[in-house]
Amino acid sequence: MRVVLDSEKCQGHGRCYVLAPEVFGPDEEGYGTVLQADVSGEALAQAERGALGCPEAAISLEEGAGRS
Amino acid sequence: MSAPAPSTFDHFAHRSMAESDQAWKDLRQQCPVAWTEANGGYWIAAGYEEVAAAFRDWESFSSARSDPDRTSLSIGGSIMRVLYPEELDPPQWNPMRRVLGRMLAPQSVERLRPRVEHWVAHSIDQVIERGTCDLSDDLTCRVPESVALEMLGFDRSDWTRISGAFHHMASYANGTPEFVAAGAELEWVAELVHHELTARLHAPRDDGMTSIVHHEIDGARIPLEAAEAITRLTVGGGVDTSTSVSSAALLHLSRHPADRQRLLEDPTLIDGAVEEFLRVYPPARTHSRIIARDVEFAGCQMHKGQRILLSEVSANHDETEFPEADRFIIDRFPNRHISFGMGLHRCPGSHLARLELKTILVQVLERMPDFVVDEAGVVEYPNWSMIGGWGKIPATFFPGQRVLS
Repeated sequence: MRVVLDSEKCQGHGRCYVLAPEVFGPDEEGYGTVLQADVSGEALAQAERGALGCPEAAISLEEGAGRS
Repeated sequence: MSAPAPSTFDHFAHRSMAESDQAWKDLRQQCPVAWTEANGGYWIAAGYEEVAAAFRDWESFSSARSDPDRTSLSIGGSIMRVLYPEELDPPQWNPMRRVLGRMLAPQSVERLRPRVEHWVAHSIDQVIERGTCDLSDDLTCRVPESVALEMLGFDRSDWTRISGAFHHMASYANGTPEFVAAGAELEWVAELVHHELTARLHAPRDDGMTSIVHHEIDGARIPLEAAEAITRLTVGGGVDTSTSVSSAALLHLSRHPADRQRLLEDPTLIDGAVEEFLRVYPPARTHSRIIARDVEFAGCQMHKGQRILLSEVSANHDETEFPEADRFIIDRFPNRHISFGMGLHRCPGSHLARLELKTILVQVLERMPDFVVDEAGVVEYPNWSMIGGWGKIPATFFPGQRVLS
C-alpha cells in the first residue's frame, strides 16, 4: 500500500508520527511528513493507525506500489 | 432549510463543569447548529462535524481582529489586547505562526523534556514531606508557569505574578474586586512583555522572547507590536490552559479509583489516558469566530458580521464521533478530539501541553500514588464559558522524600 499525506489538510497535530513513528515524521514546524511511502506488514499496521488517528483526515492509504 | 428555532442558550451562565456539560448535551441533542438570542445573538456549533468544519473554514469563520479594542476570540468581545497569530487570517497569519511553530515543534519540545521533568519534581518536592498540598496552587499552576515562562526567558521572580494574573482572572467572578485586580495585573503583564522584548532587541539572549522579537519576514524584523502580540498569546496560552486539564486529570483520578489503579498497574496506558483526559476535560471549552462572508452552513443561512461560537467541549462529547462519549475510556482509539482546535489555528503548544500533562501524571502516580482530594475544599472556577478549571484542590497523601538537592 502507498501512504499519501495531504499537506494542505495537515495542521501539525502530530498524531501520525506518535502513532506510527516508522512511517511518519515531523518537519521543522511539526507538520507531518511521510518517511516510508510504500508500506506492508508492521509498517502498514502503523500507517493505518496513523491514518485513523489523524484529526484532519489528511492521511490515506492507496492500493498500488509496495507489497500489500 | 431554515434556521432552527431560536434558543436562549447562554454559555456565560454555566457556573460549574457539571452544569456546562449538561447544557451542551441538551443543546447538542436538539441540533448540531443553533441560533441563540442571548448576549445580542450568535450562532452556536455544537456537533463534532460542524465544529471541526467551521474551525477549518477560516475564510467563512474568521478569527482575525476586526475591532482594535475588542477581542475576536470571545462572544462578549471584551476589551483585550490583540493576540497573534490567532487573531490573523492568511496571508498575514503564515509568517507570524512560523516562529511559534518552530519554537514549539516536537523536536523543540523534546529538548524541553528535562526542564518539564525538573519542574514537576521540584513542585512535588515542595510538598512531599508534608503529606498535604493544594494540587492547583502547588502543582498544576506551578509546572506550566515554570516551563513556559522559563522557555520564554522571564525572570523567575516574575513567574507566579504573571501566571497568577491569568489564574485569578478565571478564578473570580466578573465584577468582583479580585477579578478587577486580575485585569490590572494582565495590563502589568502586557507592559512587562513590552519591556522584556525591547531589552532583547538590543541585547539578544538565548530564549524564546529573543526568537520572537528577532523573527524576520522576508529579511525584515517584525514590528515590535507584532512580537508583543505573539508573546502575549504564548504566555496566556502556556499557563492556565495546561493548569486546567492537569487539575481535571488529578481530580478524575481521585474520583475514579479504578482508572487510577489501571494506570498504576499498566503505565503503558498513559499516552491514551492523556488523550482521553484532553477529550473529556478540554481546557478551552469554546472559541468564537466572526462570519466573514454570507454562507450557508449546516442548513443555516449565516450573514457576514454575525458571530459563531464553536464548542470544543460539546464536539468532544458528541456520540456520533465518540461512542459512549460520557464514559472515560482510558484506551479509547481513535480519539480525534478537538481540544487543541482544528484547522490552521491548531494550538501550537499542543505538543508541550501533552508532555506537561503526562509528566505531572507519571510523577504524581510514582511519588504520591495514594493522594486523595478533600472534596469539601474543592473550588471550581465561577464561569465555564471559555476556560474551565479550579481555584482550589486540597489533597492529602502519604509523605515521602525530596528527590532534588
